[in-house]
Amino acid sequence: MNPLTAIGGSLNPQNLAMYAAKAQSMATGAADKVVPSGDLGAVQLPVDSPTVGGTGATDSSFASLLHDAVQEVSGKQAAATAAVNGLLSGQNVSLHQAMIAMEEASVSFQLMIEVRNKMLEGYQEIMRMQL
Amino acid sequence: MIDFIPGVSTTASALTAERIRMDVISQNIANANTTRTPSGQPYQRQQVTFETVLGQQDQADSASGSQPRLIKVARIQSDSRPPRMIYSPGHPDANAQGMVAMPDINTYEEMADLITSSRTYEANLAVIHTGRSMTMQTLAIGRRS
Repeated sequence: MNPLTAIGGSLNPQNLAMYAAKAQSMATGAADKVVPSGDLGAVQLPVDSPTVGGTGATDSSFASLLHDAVQEVSGKQAAATAAVNGLLSGQNVSLHQAMIAMEEASVSFQLMIEVRNKMLEGYQEIMRMQL
Repeated sequence: MIDFIPGVSTTASALTAERIRMDVISQNIANANTTRTPSGQPYQRQQVTFETVLGQQDQADSASGSQPRLIKVARIQSDSRPPRMIYSPGHPDANAQGMVAMPDINTYEEMADLITSSRTYEANLAVIHTGRSMTMQTLAIGRRS
């Protein structure tokens, strides 16, 4: 079995929510440092004119996007925990439903790790840039 | 929520349906010699019929018009075969002629059904495995080296 399944299974949602909060504060901090005048949230934002897409920053900022993604992963983990608890406490949850929920939690966690890797890669690429 | 493993909702419903079918088959095998049920009649062989139901419309797929089709157990109905009459005068459920009504259950037939059900279950598990490995390979797109 994939070792990540074990990681995904043992992580509890409270920790993930904490990570989400931490990641959010880190992301806002990083965004401020890298592009002090710009807004990373707008997708086709021209760097020269931050006023074009900068108005709706609170709704679609990069940090809130990340927060939502982590919330989704956290939700999957919570669903998996609920399914396993339901199975073990004899409620009407069958084994395959619990396994599928755990598998989905594992896959979404894996996706989050990939996103994290990509972000870190981009950050390091920027930090290596010669000015 | 996002469906990370393709087709998992349909497959999960098929697994549930096959489990119910297995329950019913095991009930048939266990009651192959039951001559008395709460209604006083011999046990009647039970049969499962499946039906396709439409699942929840996924918002991402609404443009393409594809809707997940789920498998559901439509009903569990009694077989209409008449009971086998066996001569056994000493049996407590024997009638005036000494005949006992036994359920007409062929254990070999039930075993064949059980194997069919088990293989179907396996096939659905294979679908989940394949879907999962597809997803994992897709996630590997972003990986360098």
